[in-house]
Amino acid sequence: MSQRLQLPARVWAFVVRDFQLAFSYRLEFFLRILSILFITTTLFFISQIFASGFDTPFEQWRNPFLAWITAVPFLNYFMTGFSSLAEAIRSEQRQGTLEGVLMTPINLPTLIVAASAWDFVLATFHSFLYLFFAWALFGVDFRGNFLLAMLFLVVTTLVLASIGIISASFAMVFKRGDPLALIVGTGSALFSGVFFPSQLLSTAGGSVFGLISYLLPTTHGIDGIRRVLIQGHGLSEVREPLVTLVVYLAVLLPFSLWVFARAVRRAKREGSLIQY
Amino acid sequence: MALTLESTDASRRESDAPAAASRGPAHDARPAISIQNVTKIYPVPLARAKRFFRMDASEVTALADVSFDVREGEIFGLIGRNGAGKTTLTKVIATLVQPTRGRVTVLGSDSVRDEERVRACVGLAGAEERSFYWRLTAEQNLMFFARLYGLSGRAARRRIGELFEQFELTELRRRRFGELSTGNKQRMAVARAMLNAPPVLLLDEPTRSLDPVAAARMRALISELVRGTPPATVLLTSHNLTEVEELCARVAIISGGRIRDVGTPAELRASHRQRESVRLSLRGPTREEAARVLGGVAPDVEVERAPDGEIEVRFTREVGDGRLDEALRALHAAGARVVSCETERGTLLDVLERYEGAADEGDGAAREGVEAAETRETGGRV
Repeated sequence: MSQRLQLPARVWAFVVRDFQLAFSYRLEFFLRILSILFITTTLFFISQIFASGFDTPFEQWRNPFLAWITAVPFLNYFMTGFSSLAEAIRSEQRQGTLEGVLMTPINLPTLIVAASAWDFVLATFHSFLYLFFAWALFGVDFRGNFLLAMLFLVVTTLVLASIGIISASFAMVFKRGDPLALIVGTGSALFSGVFFPSQLLSTAGGSVFGLISYLLPTTHGIDGIRRVLIQGHGLSEVREPLVTLVVYLAVLLPFSLWVFARAVRRAKREGSLIQY
Repeated sequence: MALTLESTDASRRESDAPAAASRGPAHDARPAISIQNVTKIYPVPLARAKRFFRMDASEVTALADVSFDVREGEIFGLIGRNGAGKTTLTKVIATLVQPTRGRVTVLGSDSVRDEERVRACVGLAGAEERSFYWRLTAEQNLMFFARLYGLSGRAARRRIGELFEQFELTELRRRRFGELSTGNKQRMAVARAMLNAPPVLLLDEPTRSLDPVAAARMRALISELVRGTPPATVLLTSHNLTEVEELCARVAIISGGRIRDVGTPAELRASHRQRESVRLSLRGPTREEAARVLGGVAPDVEVERAPDGEIEVRFTREVGDGRLDEALRALHAAGARVVSCETERGTLLDVLERYEGAADEGDGAAREGVEAAETRETGGRV
């Protein structure tokens, strides 16, 4: 097989393998669909508390259900970018299969893309389900430039994936105890304006909270997607969050690849590839 | 009579020669694996912090200045006890562990600088059962790895079919890996190592957990590999010394992370065990007469009467000394007829025990360190 065709073939091999593994746990697959339906329904009923007489200066939050249902699936996607590689590495280490995979002539960039591929397939499906249930059951109708929203989705996911590669480097070397998982993983839901306007953080919580919120790429990603899908903004109006995300990406992507290559070399030096 | 004895020794050497030739290449074959002064010291994570808190932060030397070549088309054995450094060395060759010092090349490619190229031409069958996906079937597992080796879907299916036939796994192809017996899991590991028909195979105890018939078939298969076109090169680690003697053209003895000796099984036996035991079956004399006649020749002689009435005599001698000549002359003079004469030299086990005995006395502490390292290496931090 030619070198050009090997990358998609190998990525496909990982996707097929992970599908087969996921399909061997059929019940979990269907329970996850059910849980998405429950979460969407729950968010809808909470939003009904504010259905009459809700006035807010935050334009994106005039319909809280719309704000939530825009953020939750996209955050799910971003977090997949962030956590999928580290999770894949940990899973291969736990199973003892990492050495088997690294024995094959697969290079690091291919491994990074391939190991996360199935998680993205699944995240796409789950995110689609959130939006589908919101549209089919609760009448949510998005208006805006979907291509622009997709651009935000891709750029933010790549930024999060870069941080995820650094996180995977922690998994490779320290096995457990990844500080990025705490800051980015659990902090994003709190500081990125998923469940409430991020502006409230600085007004109610002080400038430090506001700074943390500003530094998180997820804040800019979710803000950009809401501006496009809820407020109907065009490219010129969303330039600021987009440029911020592109700068993050330009710095973090090469840095994360460099860190990951060093982490693999260190694990090989220590002989700890399959430890967990 | 001396002539008879010399011809016995010579005939044994001759009988070793074709066997060795069938296992290995000519002496001028180029090296497939070249290991040059490889040292592996496992660093201790957070060593400075551990030293600050006065915790044990001593490094572990798993391999010390290891050097040898494995020739193309050769089955090369690596023997040593648990913790001797066999697995570490195998992983260094397979690019899974980086050497601290020294260099390993596989078919001319450096294991650190050209690791992708090395991995493309090396198949590793480890002794680690966990290295497969237990919830996938045997076929799904091999298909995944075949695609990573770059085989197209059709080529992968064909190759997997061949390997299932070869390893008698065809009926188990749709069985989940976790449901396979330990022996079949072992066969799967070897089958995976052969997926892309690599020119170099690293087999870590390939017959471990196999029943005797399956083990014999596996040995036959390994022998066939080096007779193929082009011939494969096999580095075999094993605890089964009979297997190593049967299969390997040359053997390295590793102990405490050091290579203690390299040679053909016959050379190792000859250079480390200069004594052999002699067994004679006699007709004519009584047990007492035989003991009296031979008592002056071999002080350690043991004489027994066999159920068929023959007298069995056992004694040891230095290889090449005149004791057997003298014994036969004395027996002849006493009117005894020698029905059979067998000699038995030391096995590789004797050679290994000798080195291990020296290592136990000399560097027992080093062995403990290596064992600790290999425990860490195989997931000891669970």
